[in-house]
Amino acid sequence: MIRRLLIGMAVGLAFASWASAGEPASFTTDSLAKIKAQYAGRPFILSLWSVNECSYCIAELTLFGQYAKTHKHLPLVLVATDSREFAPAIQKTLGQFGLGSMDSWVFDDAIPERLRHAIDPSWYGELPRTYLYDAQHRREAVVGVLGEKRLQAWLRQHRLADR
Amino acid sequence: MGRLAIALLLAALLPWQPAAAMDPPSEGAPREAKPTLAVGAALDDAGRVWLARVENQRLWVSSSSDGGLHFSRPVAVSSAPEDIAANAENRPKIAVAQDGTVLLSWSQSLPKRFTGNIRFARSADGGKRFSAPVTLNDDGRVGSHSFDSLAIDGAGRVAVMWLDGRDRDAVREKGAPFAGSSVYFTQSADNGARFSANRRLTEHTCECCRTALTWTAQGPVALWRNLYGSNTRDFALANLDSGKQRRATDDEWQIDACPHHGGGLAVDGRGALHLVWFTQGRTRQGLFYKRIVGDSESLPMAIGNAAAQAGHATVAAAGETVLIAWREFDGRGYVAQAMHSTDGGASWSPPQRLAESSGAADYPLPLTDGERALVVWNSATEGLRVLPLDLGKPK
Repeated sequence: MIRRLLIGMAVGLAFASWASAGEPASFTTDSLAKIKAQYAGRPFILSLWSVNECSYCIAELTLFGQYAKTHKHLPLVLVATDSREFAPAIQKTLGQFGLGSMDSWVFDDAIPERLRHAIDPSWYGELPRTYLYDAQHRREAVVGVLGEKRLQAWLRQHRLADR
Repeated sequence: MGRLAIALLLAALLPWQPAAAMDPPSEGAPREAKPTLAVGAALDDAGRVWLARVENQRLWVSSSSDGGLHFSRPVAVSSAPEDIAANAENRPKIAVAQDGTVLLSWSQSLPKRFTGNIRFARSADGGKRFSAPVTLNDDGRVGSHSFDSLAIDGAGRVAVMWLDGRDRDAVREKGAPFAGSSVYFTQSADNGARFSANRRLTEHTCECCRTALTWTAQGPVALWRNLYGSNTRDFALANLDSGKQRRATDDEWQIDACPHHGGGLAVDGRGALHLVWFTQGRTRQGLFYKRIVGDSESLPMAIGNAAAQAGHATVAAAGETVLIAWREFDGRGYVAQAMHSTDGGASWSPPQRLAESSGAADYPLPLTDGERALVVWNSATEGLRVLPLDLGKPK
């Protein structure tokens, strides 16, 4: 039994280092500005989710995971609204959906309302929630699960459908 | 960290192992340290304030005879550690019967995502010792059981209700779709010494909002966020004894997401029901209150400052006193707010800013016995505060 566990752990360690690209970054009140600067002049998707408290987010991660396979440069930013303690669970979950190398952040503030306010003052914390930014960074909020049709339409609109 | 990593790796690597094999967590190894600021509170017939809080994977009970200035030395409900949900809309529940029996229910989180148990324990000696906790969900499966509510009639009857994923799991195992969760409940006629078999109240409810339960002259009445149609998440009311259900709100909140924002329910001395709830529906948006007397009900009344994210209200009632507490965020920190009525909800005081917190904080909990009004508020920086309200009644 112990031998099986040790072998399992060795395999697991190899798997973990391959599947995940480190820890999610700390999302603070100025993080959205940094993300926008990183995507200056380019469209991107800001997806808010939770590893701990959102069964619907799993449906959305599944969809993103499918598209990440075929779209090498999917401009996706994933922000988990959990707290730093969940960093390992977040990265593990993203790895399971093939999203381990995506730009990943986690809320890092004792008062998450501060961060919600920095993203959108009208957001009470419902999840999932997605913002579709165009190249000029005008954005559209999607409350609830982002469906495949909506994602496809957005990718086509920004000529990202085949890349 | 090492142990955690190994536990996570094992969880990832051994998917063929039944999840039950991982329960309980091996030798109390800490998993993710979740915050546990959410407390349970109650006021007994003698005016004592009772408190249930979670620390180091244990539930602790203490009481205060001086309105919350001093609390007794906390007693651990169980010697065995377990992950007790005590964050945001999850909190332990505490109630005290007329004979002094102290009753507790809580949701235990299991290692597998979105799974847990509804747990119960009681003390027959005024909180000195507690019975070994029992699991109330009787389906014997590692599944979703969460967001428990507890209500008692004070004379021996007890009801516990919760959100239960067993129907969803059974349907999905056959490859069919199932929307939402279910509400299950159990009852006791002897202050929690024994409980009846679980019963299903309803299927297709919201999965991620707290439930509420209060004991009326007609028996236990439940409030939960229901699923109407495919994804309209408005509230429903039901009497657990008769099973009679009604739609409680017509907000038309259509959203395929988790609001994490349930409602509160209390009954006053004249039998009127008092509801508080949150919605972002087509009909209305924000935090609301209304009163239901028989078949007639008041118009929804907006509560709190919507620009300050007013939310997560709880209501308490006794005699003709009704007390509502909620939390706001004023741009810097959290604020505990309350308002009260001394005429059964016909007229209301202005909102009262009770206290502030500069860090993480629980939602404020109102308590009243009709004569006194208190708001219990726990926060990471300022600690637990019991805030008295002046009802303006002649002493």
